[in-house]
Amino acid sequence: MTAEHLSKWYGQVIGLNDVSVAVPPGITGLLGPNGAGKSTFMKLVTGQLKPSKGSVTVLGEPIWQNPGLYFRIGFCPEQDSFYERMTGLEWVTALVRLNGLDESAAAASARRALEQVDLMEAADKKIGAYSKGMRQRVKMAQALAHDPTLLILDEPLSGMDPIMRRKTIRMIKDWGRAGKSIIVSSHILHEIESMTPNILLINQGRILAEGNVHQIRELIDEHPHTVYVKAEQTRALAREFLAYDDVLSLKFEDEAVVVQTGRPDAFYARLTELAASGAAGAIHEVTSPDDNLQAVFQYLVKS
Amino acid sequence: MTDTPTPSARSAEASRSISATEASRANGATDASRQSAHDRQTPDLVPSALRIFDLSLGQMLWSRRSVFLGVLLGGPVLLAFALRVMTALYPSGFRINGAVAGGAPIFGLIIWLLYIRFIIPVLGVFYGTALIADEVEDKTITYLFTRPIPRSAVLLGKYFAYLACTSLLILPSVMLVYFLIVPIGGGSIGAAFPALLKDLGMLVVGLAAYGAVFALVGTRLKRPLVVGLVFAFGWEPGVLLFPGYLKRATVAYYLQALVTHEMPQDSAVSLLMQVFREVPGVLTSLASLAIIVGVSLWFAGRAVETREYVLDQ
Repeated sequence: MTAEHLSKWYGQVIGLNDVSVAVPPGITGLLGPNGAGKSTFMKLVTGQLKPSKGSVTVLGEPIWQNPGLYFRIGFCPEQDSFYERMTGLEWVTALVRLNGLDESAAAASARRALEQVDLMEAADKKIGAYSKGMRQRVKMAQALAHDPTLLILDEPLSGMDPIMRRKTIRMIKDWGRAGKSIIVSSHILHEIESMTPNILLINQGRILAEGNVHQIRELIDEHPHTVYVKAEQTRALAREFLAYDDVLSLKFEDEAVVVQTGRPDAFYARLTELAASGAAGAIHEVTSPDDNLQAVFQYLVKS
Repeated sequence: MTDTPTPSARSAEASRSISATEASRANGATDASRQSAHDRQTPDLVPSALRIFDLSLGQMLWSRRSVFLGVLLGGPVLLAFALRVMTALYPSGFRINGAVAGGAPIFGLIIWLLYIRFIIPVLGVFYGTALIADEVEDKTITYLFTRPIPRSAVLLGKYFAYLACTSLLILPSVMLVYFLIVPIGGGSIGAAFPALLKDLGMLVVGLAAYGAVFALVGTRLKRPLVVGLVFAFGWEPGVLLFPGYLKRATVAYYLQALVTHEMPQDSAVSLLMQVFREVPGVLTSLASLAIIVGVSLWFAGRAVETREYVLDQ
């Protein structure tokens, strides 16, 4: 994927500003806070937006108004939108049919993709009855089902529980090892770091840095990291958290605990173990607001 | 004497033959992969539109809009049922301007007032303007626009799904009304049946024309529903009241020429319409409506190809 002097304006607002970048094969993480231009970049790369200036080529061809390229691209969008009345299998099959497959071949591809994302058991359930994590996985299945060369995943781990998050990260790494090129966006550094060392840092519509993630993570670790954990037994969970020395503060919000940690890696690792053991009941959802990353970006911009 | 190949010669020949077969297979495979690569570059409009049709028809039939459509189409059936019950209660029959009205004229009245002037334009507005807008609003358009199909195939497939869905629902409604109303006053169902078939065809043509026009409105404008309603219930009836060429810029002008029933004179407006009414020929009307459908869909397809719908989200 190559962008040359790529800009996108929404009236007076600049979404992306004169970006020139070449994304190599393999897994590349696109990291930036909300409003940084990640979504604009993803929409340009997937041909949903037309560049205001400059060009973007994917797999050697311009993507805008080039539907033939989508034979080789799979896209998992950020938005949580589906045909709710369809089952997961029906939905993925219907979308793969648009790639020119007949009904039986499409159904077989859809089943394979649902197996890959560990969703076969719920394949015949209506999507409207899926949990947030299942909805994320069925979105990935539709992106995978036609065996694309390039996978573009926009915030794929958002809203998943810790165990599914770990499984999904492993899946993405496996796809990368199997030879697929993957562009994955997130506003959580540790997620990207666990998938790939190659990152593009984006903020205020510009690529701030590209390359190895490790230099950035040192900066991140200097800032407290907020984690929102929605769980069955919030009080039991809070008791567990209080025993961690890296937990700086915590508060209750509806059916969730909001934690500030000084060492996000250690916190996430222990949270995954806690979820697997079930010691503090079921953990339904883990999300991280991007305030911590925003602080680092502000620091980077100033320096 | 015939040349009999020695075993080694046979073996060499067989080996050559196998090599030739393999080469031919290899060439075939290369050709096939080349062909496949070529096919991958050029997704066709019609097969893509048919796949979108498959995907959209079920969605459309079981949507909230179809409940609205059911209520809308149930209205004339209920009215017909009520008229039939009243006929049974008052056998002297209905009188219009002092004369006893038969079932066929009442059926014609219902076709004009309810179906032509109201239900067909309403269906066109509500479904036509929403063909793409619903997917944009639900944010599901991304899944369709990131597949290897031309974007205009999405519009075309959805348009045909609309036509199939509304036709499947409107035809039973009209037939029920027909069977309930026509026998009133001793009318013969069999005698009026050819006229019913013409009515059904005319209604499908109306759905096709209004659907295409409002699909264009839906793909081009920001507030398509308001514009559509103004067009269907402001511009069209308004322009038909006056003499001149302006009425040719309406669907109703051509559609009304296909109606086999007498235009009702139910109000001063209808009388005015009757006075200034010009009736184009059936062939002229059908050709004009076909042009309206073709041109509207072409421009709508162009809009879908070039518009950045994610900005609307």
